[in-house]
Amino acid sequence: MDVAGSILSFSFYEGLVFGLVAIGVYLTLRVLAFPDLTVDGSYTLGGAVAAVLIVAGVNPFLATLAAIGAGFCAGLLTGILNTKLRIPALLAGILMMVGLYSINLRIMSGANVSLLREVTSFDIIANLFGMRGGSIAVSIILALAIAAVVFFALNWFLRTEIGLSLRATGDNEQMVRSLGGDTDKNVMLGCAVSNGLVALAGAIVSQGQGFADVGMGIGMIVMGLASVIIGEALFRPKGVTWLLVAAVGGAFVYRLFITIALRMGMAPGDLKLITAVLVVIALAIPYIRKKARREWIPPAVRW
Amino acid sequence: MKKGIIVMLGLCLILLAASLPVFSGCDNNEEMYTVCITQIATHPDLDNNRQGIIDGMAEMGYIEGENVEFVVRNAEGDMTSAASIAEYFVSLNPDIIQAITTPTAQTVVAAAEGTDIPIIFSSVTDPVTAGLVPSWTEAGATVTGVSDWFEMTPQVELILSVLPDVQILGIAYNAGEVNAAVQAAEFKSAAADFGLTVVEATAASTADVYAAGMSLVGRCDAVWIPTCNTVGGVGIEAIIQVGEENSLPVFGSASGMISTGLVGGCSVDYYWVGLQAGYMAARILDGEDIAGIAPIKAAVSTILYPASATRMGVTIPQAALDSVDIIMTD
Amino acid sequence: MSAENLLQLKKINKVFSRGTVDEVKALNNINLEVKAEDYITVIGSNGAGKTTMLNVVGGVFPPERGGKIVVADVNVTGLSEYKRAAYVGRVYQDPNIGTAAKMTIEENLAMAVLRGKSRGLRAASNKQLREEFREALAPLKLGLENRLNALVGTLSSGQRQAVALVMATISRPSLLLLDEHSANLDPRTAQIVLELTEMIVKREKITTLMVTHNMELALRYGNRLIMMHEGRIVVDLNHEQRTGLTINDLITAFERASGSKFNEDELLLRG
Repeated sequence: MDVAGSILSFSFYEGLVFGLVAIGVYLTLRVLAFPDLTVDGSYTLGGAVAAVLIVAGVNPFLATLAAIGAGFCAGLLTGILNTKLRIPALLAGILMMVGLYSINLRIMSGANVSLLREVTSFDIIANLFGMRGGSIAVSIILALAIAAVVFFALNWFLRTEIGLSLRATGDNEQMVRSLGGDTDKNVMLGCAVSNGLVALAGAIVSQGQGFADVGMGIGMIVMGLASVIIGEALFRPKGVTWLLVAAVGGAFVYRLFITIALRMGMAPGDLKLITAVLVVIALAIPYIRKKARREWIPPAVRW
Repeated sequence: MKKGIIVMLGLCLILLAASLPVFSGCDNNEEMYTVCITQIATHPDLDNNRQGIIDGMAEMGYIEGENVEFVVRNAEGDMTSAASIAEYFVSLNPDIIQAITTPTAQTVVAAAEGTDIPIIFSSVTDPVTAGLVPSWTEAGATVTGVSDWFEMTPQVELILSVLPDVQILGIAYNAGEVNAAVQAAEFKSAAADFGLTVVEATAASTADVYAAGMSLVGRCDAVWIPTCNTVGGVGIEAIIQVGEENSLPVFGSASGMISTGLVGGCSVDYYWVGLQAGYMAARILDGEDIAGIAPIKAAVSTILYPASATRMGVTIPQAALDSVDIIMTD
Repeated sequence: MSAENLLQLKKINKVFSRGTVDEVKALNNINLEVKAEDYITVIGSNGAGKTTMLNVVGGVFPPERGGKIVVADVNVTGLSEYKRAAYVGRVYQDPNIGTAAKMTIEENLAMAVLRGKSRGLRAASNKQLREEFREALAPLKLGLENRLNALVGTLSSGQRQAVALVMATISRPSLLLLDEHSANLDPRTAQIVLELTEMIVKREKITTLMVTHNMELALRYGNRLIMMHEGRIVVDLNHEQRTGLTINDLITAFERASGSKFNEDELLLRG
């Protein structure tokens, strides 16, 4: 496959998978106005749970579902820490992230679980279509199928009565309470769903890369935040559907930059600086343009 | 919305345009072999490994620039980057992929599944548990390599030869690194055979190394560091500082970390490991089938570094100095 | 519903910052019986306890031990705010509190329609509901029924408050609490909102408590007038007693009942 095609297809795959992380971060950060740092821990949790179950002989798809469940529980716990124990959101997420590191080590009985000798979801799909297991086409088919299901499920869910109540909680919590909505439950549900999605991403990645490792989640929250912010800056989405598209689109663009830079031989250390610069440019351009046209610029948001 | 779609399309077009001139150099030439090397982090032992590969292949007639092109990438500790690098390498369809350390080897094997690209790993402590090869004596269909596994008994014996009265040993490592965790467990059981007890301190990242080191002061008589990228690689300076400030002797398990300033240790020679990986690659390029090349364990040499020992408050007995393979100097 | 008391407040006290230098008794032995379909206007100076009383009825904070709140024969004293919402609708002084800025008018109303009901996985809005929303918004004569997809944040204060009023009443709560809901609006919009309130309250027969600073409004609307001072109800006039009263009469009544000189310029100036 030619180089450009290879870069695009790999970034497409990564955009879909990390798009799940971006959607998860978007659900908590933007919809619920809850900055949730559990992500680094729940991503690894998803990978660890899926890997351990697959090695134990469980069907890889069931193992992936179990991983979602594990992430769901982790998010639920974060929500409980915040709503019932009154621990500030930021701190609750950090505590969970730190605690999950040890829990993940325990789950994997060590730092790393190898999946190279196991049959993973990727292998099953490859056999179904008669392709080789490591090929990018298989990865994209799997990621696309999962992302599509998640997309439609969330699109539906956020328009239901509960989903609407969840969105309103991030917008005006006081109002939701005076309209009879249980905001505590909303926060817990939102965090749970979000971390379930992130764990799903971790489960997919661990099966694709051939192992689960306790360090695989480090930096995921940054990736999710960057994707959400880039997506918002580029797409200016209005309405639930476009917001979901923007999250995935932002992840795609972010991973595209990284993939290009890596292939050009840039050191990942420099890479981080360059992506930071790119995000700054992406965000600053609209305001610089506004300033040039002497238009009114709204005050800076905190996050 | 529109702006986003325009930007994305624009990026794709730029890519397609740029792909031709910049990247065409990677086409597989008749005479030029392509060898891809992926490394997980930067520190002396892994760097020696990489250099060994290049030198080993050169010794066998595969010289960089003449008939071999090396594509080298370093993931700098980021797992996601390692996966991206693996994917990239596979897309280049090279003649050989050299993977240094366990996580990079695992991602390369996963990405190359279904292809027949020969993969050679080096500095992987336990390739069997990692799923790279079926057993210590058989290669995988497309995978073989050089392990840096070593026996622990000689390590303990060396420590005892320098400090015969030692009772309690301490280990500092990153529990999140599978290599290090395996070695720590092995070391504990070997030490128990000599009637010694072992205490542990773990560091989850380089930021925690100094604290881990300090927590061992007063709890043990001497410290041993496994081949851990975090503590023994990137963070070794902090441990040396702890040892020198508190007169706590520190022993290591790799020549790179020992040469930075430890009392001594048994080391796999990582340069030697790289050389072996390079020889294996040469054999495959010469036409040998990779499935027939069994994985090998590295040889171990004993090292002592008297000047460091003095800085850590220890004088090495002459008898010990006489029986080691290598004596390092400043 | 038995005896006509829709709302009963018994021995309601509320103390803030108990035990500190700032301790204040915001509500002092409030006892109130509100009949169904009463439209009570509540006036008093700042710090009289009007908003605190509304907050206690609404469930924002509980009364001191021994106090009891009964709405439509249900003892709601122990219910938290969101559980009490089934019985109580509120419109706040600040239009930003009653509505969600980043959601559309349709979505806000969809939230409001489910007040007090359990929320499930049904679609939040459908054609039938949209028709209902349009019918509810049309009488406002602000054109909002044609702008269901507009973000509430793009509306003016007056329009937002009108939406908030519709949101508070669309689910026909047993009790409606209005906390100076026209105070932040320009005179014309305030007029529209107040007339609307009157119309909705009469049409849906909702029992209403309206807090206001404005004595003239207090006399113009409603069928009962309560005046509060320092946490107590000092004046309680039913319909006959109120009719024909002027502001000066009110002041006299206050001074007689509370035993202190009336010197609240604010109330006078606003009148």
